[in-house]
Amino acid sequence: MKQPSKYIRNFCIIAHIDHGKSTLADRLMEMTGQVSKRDMQEQLLDSMDIERERGITIKLTPVRMFYDADDGNEYVFNLIDTPGHVDFTYEVSRSLAACEGAILIVDASQGIEAQTLANVYLAIENDLEILPVINKIDLPSARPDEAKKEIEDVIGLDASYAPLISAKEGTNIKDVLESVVKYFPAPQGDEDAPLKALIFDSYYDNYKGVILFVRLKDGKVNVGDRITTFRSDKIYEVTEVGVFAPRLMIKDGLYAGEVGYIAASIKSIQDVAVGDTVINADDRADQPLPGYKKVQSVVFCGIYPLDGSKFNDLKDALMKLQLNDASLVFEPDNSQALGFGFRCGFLGLLHMEIMQERLEREFNLDIITTAPSVSYKVVKTDGEVVFVDNPSHLPEPSYISYMEEPIVHADIYSPPDYLGQIMDLCRDKRGVFGQMTYLEENRVKLEYRLPLNEIIFDFFDKIKSRTRGYASFDYELVGYEKSRLVKLDILLNGEVCDALSMIVHEDSAYARGRMLCENLKEAIPRQLFEIPVQAAIGGKIIARETVKAVRKDVLAKCYGGDITRKKKLLEKQKEGKKRMRSIGSVEVPSEVFMEILKTNKD
Amino acid sequence: MAGIYVHIPFCKSKCRYCDFTSFPDKIGFAESYMTCVYREMKMRGAELKDKKFDTLYIGGGTPSVIDESYIAMLIAAAKKYFVLSADAEITIEMNPGTVSRKKIETYLKNGVNRFSVGLQTAIDSQLEDLGRYHTLNQFVTCAGMLRGENFNVDVMIGLKGQTLDDISKTIDVASSFGASHISMYALTPEDGTPIYSDYLNGELPDGDEVAEMYSFGVKKLKELGFERYEVSNFAKSGRQSRHNLNYWRRGEYIGIGVSASSFINGVRFTNTFNLDEYFKCILTNRFPVIDSAEIDLQGAKEETIMLSLRTCEGLDIDKFNGQFNADFLSDYSAPLKKNESFLEIISGRLRVKDEYLFVQNTIICDFFS
Repeated sequence: MKQPSKYIRNFCIIAHIDHGKSTLADRLMEMTGQVSKRDMQEQLLDSMDIERERGITIKLTPVRMFYDADDGNEYVFNLIDTPGHVDFTYEVSRSLAACEGAILIVDASQGIEAQTLANVYLAIENDLEILPVINKIDLPSARPDEAKKEIEDVIGLDASYAPLISAKEGTNIKDVLESVVKYFPAPQGDEDAPLKALIFDSYYDNYKGVILFVRLKDGKVNVGDRITTFRSDKIYEVTEVGVFAPRLMIKDGLYAGEVGYIAASIKSIQDVAVGDTVINADDRADQPLPGYKKVQSVVFCGIYPLDGSKFNDLKDALMKLQLNDASLVFEPDNSQALGFGFRCGFLGLLHMEIMQERLEREFNLDIITTAPSVSYKVVKTDGEVVFVDNPSHLPEPSYISYMEEPIVHADIYSPPDYLGQIMDLCRDKRGVFGQMTYLEENRVKLEYRLPLNEIIFDFFDKIKSRTRGYASFDYELVGYEKSRLVKLDILLNGEVCDALSMIVHEDSAYARGRMLCENLKEAIPRQLFEIPVQAAIGGKIIARETVKAVRKDVLAKCYGGDITRKKKLLEKQKEGKKRMRSIGSVEVPSEVFMEILKTNKD
Repeated sequence: MAGIYVHIPFCKSKCRYCDFTSFPDKIGFAESYMTCVYREMKMRGAELKDKKFDTLYIGGGTPSVIDESYIAMLIAAAKKYFVLSADAEITIEMNPGTVSRKKIETYLKNGVNRFSVGLQTAIDSQLEDLGRYHTLNQFVTCAGMLRGENFNVDVMIGLKGQTLDDISKTIDVASSFGASHISMYALTPEDGTPIYSDYLNGELPDGDEVAEMYSFGVKKLKELGFERYEVSNFAKSGRQSRHNLNYWRRGEYIGIGVSASSFINGVRFTNTFNLDEYFKCILTNRFPVIDSAEIDLQGAKEETIMLSLRTCEGLDIDKFNGQFNADFLSDYSAPLKKNESFLEIISGRLRVKDEYLFVQNTIICDFFS
């Protein structure tokens, strides 16, 4: 048995969304000489445009560094970045499985946030060593001692040795590097044992095929090796292995304890599921590494190409996205209003938004998305039970015995000043109060049972705006409960538009219908005829607005010099029309389908 | 049918809504400019010996601001260098603040047989607001000099603070002083003009109000015997502008002078908007063209649809089919079906129904590819 090098440290960083994770990662890379300051693009790890713009991490990105420690030895650090948002807990669990340690960044002025806690507990469950780091000590409002106390009180970790740093100013970064050496264990494993490598991520490269991001637990892998995975029966020959520097850097081989990538001309994405274990086809290990629990989609929506002929492009794009993000699920769907498209499942609302944005930006697709929905349990009169996440697939009311909706247990953390506002909001959202705990003088935990369909719309935004950003919130599904639910239909010019239907609680149906009609009235451009916009439940109209007919749409003058210019204006108008969908005789801009998301202003 | 357009880019002052090429501070260049115009006519005439022209339109700017002798020489040059039919329609645009009996007499003597007078509104405060440098009284004087002549009056709707009564009064004034033709335009606030800021500040009537003004004006004009023959143009019987009809029938025309556009042999082109550049080109015997595009078959069809649907005579389906070797009713069955309630076909002509002429853009767009 040959132990992996004791000079390797594999770790990740856990932090709340704006507590400085990417900044610290950048500093670590800079300090280890991995990247020169001059070449550094702000926040290297967040390489997607969306990530940089929103200041969040979605994908985990590994990077390798060399560090000359005070003990005289050179260490290899593999840092695996983790997403911070609650939607991406799944991704976090993947990166945790590839690490021995986790740096927990806590903002010296804000303390620990709810979402961070969830990830900390995940790390503890995964037996990771946790190194607390107090960041932003340069802020005037910094109170590092309180932050330390909070870590000890809330998580029960010893924070006395936590480095006090400012990632932004570059203060005390060396303490962090030394602590990584000192407190995180070197990887365990056996280099002589058969290969076992956990796939923690992957992406598709047009030239090399699927690139597998792996953490080797046992054994080694070299170019020319024949590999397979536990769940696959296909065998691939390794064409390239390497590490993340942070771009791909080719190496001769990878050994137990290391983090790196494998390319093996893998063309089919289905054969290399993230969470699977790579093994040597000629020297098979007999047990797979523990994978990840299968993710469950929580939020669903329809995605349709604006231009119906782009269906296949959309399909290709979704498949490519799924390659990096196994949590995205989709299946073909068909809407009367929107034609052929896909019903997609997501981890949460942010996950959904990000996928939509990536489809538009990275694949240049114009898409229409329908309102998000959850999966309802429908018990039919004949006793059959079906799950419905698409309102237009809901059986006729006469066939439904009763319906159940998914319920979450939500923990809301807030300073006590905002309790009133939070409780009001939760009551509006049909929440059932559980209990309230003072975590410390300035921090309260509220527990609620809430219907999931009430929080997928705007709950997060509203919590934030009502507490001036101080509160945070985390939730987990706890099961289904019987509920009085109805299908709310929208009729445009007398015809039901299936893409605008939604399932709502009976008590809020009227208000929702009223508001939707008002929003749609604003969002649908005036056309040559008057358009009634109606909301209906089971054929009964409950609200109506009217989009007035347009009365002026003409070029005042058109003489000799105007013809070319005026024609261009009409062509532009035509382009605008092309971006609309015809629902019956009504032309509807794609944004309209998102109107359904808007609720009354807060 | 073919027309000649000559652009006179000088004005006493710039109106607040104007985005045409005009230089209020450069009247001193009129002599040099007109010399170049005659020269350009000579150059063009040599190229277009085989074309017969039926109309001459002297527009601007304000053609009446320059000395009338230049206009006399211009008409003489047109007759000399182009094949201009004996009964050609010769129009000149005039601003009521720049005319005199002597000018009008000279115009008439040299063959002008149609005048176009920019009144815009009969309300002096609105004229001032538009930056017009004439008053209602000056229009009355001007119209008096044109008594018995064939003349058009421009009327604007959609002005700041304008009421239906104001429009009624303006049309009454134009009609009672003998106009044979009235052009009624909606003010278009173009980006870059001073009036655009009125628009941005919400001071101008909105689309619904303008539509109200328009239908009011249409009704009023009809009562006074002015028949609409294009969205914005109304005429007493037989007094339609032949020059403008030629544009909407997609006829050929040659534009002379700075910023003038042409459509000859399937090519649309435009002269430079820059006065110095114009001088330079003409003095070195080059055409001052900056923009030239041959119109392909698709473009020709779209232009035909766009232009003819502006008019009340509409699109001649047989002529279209013959000209483009097409089958209009089947080639355009989708947009025809979609817009069937807004269109009508009468004796082989497709037209936008009267009540939808003012919302025609959205209909026309559907016929574009």
